Amino acid sequence: MPRYKMVNGERVQLTAEEEAARDAEEAAWEAGAKDRSMANLRAKRNNLLKETDHYALSDVTMSADMATYRQNLRDLPGTVTDENTAAEVDAITFPTKP
Amino acid sequence: MAIIKLNNRAVKDATAVGSTTQLGNLVFISKQTASSSSSVSFTSGIDSTYKEYIFYFNNIHPATNSVQFNFNLSTDNGSNYNVVRTTTFFYAYHNEDDSGTALSYGGNNDLAQALGGSQTFGELAWNQGSDADQSVSGYLHLFEPSSDTFVKHYIGSFNQSHEGDLSIANYTAGYGNTTSAINAIEFKMSSGNIDAGEITLFGVA
Repeated sequence: MPRYKMVNGERVQLTAEEEAARDAEEAAWEAGAKDRSMANLRAKRNNLLKETDHYALSDVTMSADMATYRQNLRDLPGTVTDENTAAEVDAITFPTKP
Repeated sequence: MAIIKLNNRAVKDATAVGSTTQLGNLVFISKQTASSSSSVSFTSGIDSTYKEYIFYFNNIHPATNSVQFNFNLSTDNGSNYNVVRTTTFFYAYHNEDDSGTALSYGGNNDLAQALGGSQTFGELAWNQGSDADQSVSGYLHLFEPSSDTFVKHYIGSFNQSHEGDLSIANYTAGYGNTTSAINAIEFKMSSGNIDAGEITLFGVA
C-alpha cells in the first residue's frame, strides 16, 4: 500500500526513494525493539530504587524486606536472557515494594 | 493608540480599547490535519518574518502502538531533514491506576550532536499508545529560525497517553546546531503513520 505525507496541507504520495527510506527506518525501529524494552526496564527500575534511596541513609535502619526488595530491583535486568523477546521484557513483573 | 498603563478598574470601566498591536500577537500561518500520513511537514511560512514560531499539536494519534513522536529540521526547504541537534529531555509520569509516579531526566530521549528522527527514543513523546482514546498534545517553540548568526533554539512541552496507560508530561529543549536558516520542519512517528491530529503554525509578531 502506498504511503502519503502531508506537505503544507496537501496529501502527497511518497516517491519510490522515500518509500525505501521509510522502509529502512521502520526496519531499524523494529530491530531495536529489545534494546528499547531493556532501556525502559532500567529506567523504571532506577525510578523505583530512587523512591527508596532514603532508607539507605546512615541514620535510617533498613529492614531486611526493603534490602531484599532493592537487591531484587538491581538484579532485575540480569534476569533477561538473549532468548527473551521485547514483549517478554515488557511483561516482566517488578518486585512488590514492602 | 497603544495601551500604556492599566490601573485598578480601568479595564472593567473601559468602553473602548485602542490598538493593542504593541502587546504582540500570535499570527496564524497554517494548519495541517494528518490523515494516515507518514509525516506532516511545513515547508513554507517559516522564514525571517517572525523571530519566533509556535507549533500547536492537537490530539496526534499514531496508527501503531508504542511508537515515538519525532521531528527534524531542514535548511533546504524540506529536501533533507538533517540538522544536527543537541537537546535535553525530562518528564513526569503518573499511572492511571496510581501505581507509580516519577520525575526523571530522559537520558534515552536526548540528543548529543545527533540527527534524531530515526533514533531509538522519542524527542517529543515516547511509547505513545494507539488506543482509540490515546493521543499526544502540546506545543513547540522555534526561535529565530532565519538567523545566520546563532544556533536554532527550540522548547517544547507535550502531554501524552503512554501505551502503558500513563499520563506523561514531556519537556524538551535544544538547538539545531547550524547557522544556516531553518526553513522547513517535519513531524513523524518512529514507525507507522500519524493516523490523525492537527498541527497549527503561528508566528509571534
